[in-house]
Amino acid sequence: MNAFVAAAVAMLVAIVPCGFLLVRGTIMDAVVAYEAITAIAVMVLILLAEGFRRSGEFELPVLLAVLMFGSGLVFVRLLERWL
Amino acid sequence: MIRNVFVDVILAAAVALVLASTVGLLAMRDTYQRVHYLTPLALVAPLLLGLAILVQSGSTVSSSLTWLALVFIVITGPFLSHATIRAIRIRETGDWRLGADAEATGDAGSPGDQP
Repeated sequence: MNAFVAAAVAMLVAIVPCGFLLVRGTIMDAVVAYEAITAIAVMVLILLAEGFRRSGEFELPVLLAVLMFGSGLVFVRLLERWL
Repeated sequence: MIRNVFVDVILAAAVALVLASTVGLLAMRDTYQRVHYLTPLALVAPLLLGLAILVQSGSTVSSSLTWLALVFIVITGPFLSHATIRAIRIRETGDWRLGADAEATGDAGSPGDQP
C-alpha cells in the first residue's frame, strides 16, 4: 500500500461523519453532506487511480466532477421551493 | 527520496484538512455554518492533491486529467455553495433578498427607519 492508497482510505473514513449528517440532519444538511461526499469521492478516485498506476481510470473523476456540479444544482434548485 | 517525503507531507495535509472539515460539518449548529466547511474541502484539499500528483508524476496525461477534475471542483465549488445558501434562505423566508421576510410578515420597521 503506497501513500496514495493510504490517503484514499483515510479520505473514505471522512465520509462517515458526512453519512451521519446525511441520515440525522435536516434535508438541507443532507444536501451539504452530499456535496461534501461527492467532492471526497472525486479525490478518492484520483488517489486510487494514481496509487494503482491506472492511467485509464483518471477519466472517472473528471466525469464525476462534472456530474457533481450538475446534480448539486438540480438538488438545490428543486429543494429551494418545490420539495 | 525528498520527492517522496514531500508527496507524503502534502497528502497528509490534504487528508487532515478533509477529516477536519467533515468533523466541522458534523459539529456545527445550523446549515449556514456547515456550508462554510465545504470550502476547505472543495478548494484547498483538491489543490494539495493536485500538487502531490504533479510532484509524483510530473507533467503527464494523468496529472493533466487530475488537474482538469480538480480545477473543475475548485471553480464550481463556490457556485454550488452560493446556490445552497440561497436555497436555504428561500426555504426559510420565501425570498433570498434581505427584508423580504419583514415585508412578508408586515413589519415595516421602526419609524426612525423612514426618511
